Amino acid sequence: MAFLRSTARQIRMQNLPAVLVLILATSGAAQAQWVNATYPGTPRTPDGKPDLSGPVPKTPEGKPDLSGVWHTESFRWVQNLPGEGVDVPMVPSAAALYKQRLKTMGEHNPQLYCLPHSVPDAMLVADFPFKIIQTRRETVVIFEEFNQYRQIFTDGRTLSKDPNPAWFGFSTGKWEGDTFVVEVGGFKEGSWLDNVGHPRTEQLHITERYRRLNFGSMDLDVTINDPGAYVKPWNAPTIHFKLIPEGELIEHLCENNRDIEHENFFEDKQSTDRK
Amino acid sequence: MRKTLAVWLSAIGLLCSAGTVAAHHGFAAEFDRSKTLKLTGTITKFEWTNPHAWLYIDVKNDDGIVTNWAFEMSSPNVLYRKGWTRTSLKPGDGVTIEAFRARDGSYNANAQAITMTSTGEKLLAPQDPQGGPK
Repeated sequence: MAFLRSTARQIRMQNLPAVLVLILATSGAAQAQWVNATYPGTPRTPDGKPDLSGPVPKTPEGKPDLSGVWHTESFRWVQNLPGEGVDVPMVPSAAALYKQRLKTMGEHNPQLYCLPHSVPDAMLVADFPFKIIQTRRETVVIFEEFNQYRQIFTDGRTLSKDPNPAWFGFSTGKWEGDTFVVEVGGFKEGSWLDNVGHPRTEQLHITERYRRLNFGSMDLDVTINDPGAYVKPWNAPTIHFKLIPEGELIEHLCENNRDIEHENFFEDKQSTDRK
Repeated sequence: MRKTLAVWLSAIGLLCSAGTVAAHHGFAAEFDRSKTLKLTGTITKFEWTNPHAWLYIDVKNDDGIVTNWAFEMSSPNVLYRKGWTRTSLKPGDGVTIEAFRARDGSYNANAQAITMTSTGEKLLAPQDPQGGPK
């Protein structure tokens, strides 16, 4: 520590002008590097661009490595997870709730109150990428939106029979060939499956199947099994993710939903005195 | 600065086809797609705040009455990735904004396109028509 303090003092006293010049000269580049980061090991085309059709990276154990910054290129899955083509018959209570959410156009969407997304919708907000960090014992997913995270354990543990309900539930993963299969349960009630308001209950169990197709693409199949809301399990249309090969996550927080300071959407009055 | 911004917007293009419309979770409840606005005025404030940035402009009508309008934009992180910074828009700048008006009849709207009066530069592309709530 003394050495560090001494070194820092020397830099401050002797090289202050040079340090300042260096900071000023590189500040613009630093911003570009933060948004457009480059990563070693990225396959490249002859013209130097990332080769998104390149091979799937592998871990030392020989499994596909899902690590990277990903996003969807469409809002359609977060908007309506089953879409128009999938039959999702609901139990009466869920059908009534869904009808009410459609009627009020998502007025009480949890995210409007700064509440989190969940599985799988936290990955489906196209403007907000997520980062996968895959290690041997667990795979961590960091979501740009609301600065949230999820842990998928691959150390052999099983889901609890009586979990303390959680917004993101509890996830365990295993490899079936080149497919990463994740089981998720223990969800807290309160989240919606999508923006249009497909319901979910604490009985929800989700199975996810991730397949990295090449360097730049990954598919996800999701099975929704929630007897509290649906009369039978159903599969969402395959979700497509694209890698952001030279990008980074950027902080995003809800900050007590400061939108409300500016809006009257939740009240019945005109805003005329904002200046 | 604005030239740099334009280069960013055209060069990155990564997330530009997807916009604030659907990313904003309560869009359908708050804004009415059928109520389109095109207003020209002078910026009074640009708030680089979460969960959304807000832009305020003074708009003078034919009778000389000035109204301060507020436009919700995307989140600072999304704008930053597209090349924006908190100083990209400054009080005093003239702009024309295309937007969807709030359902509650207030002087709030969701910005879809911003054109700088001085240069004619368009800063926000129209949003993905497939992105909105059904």
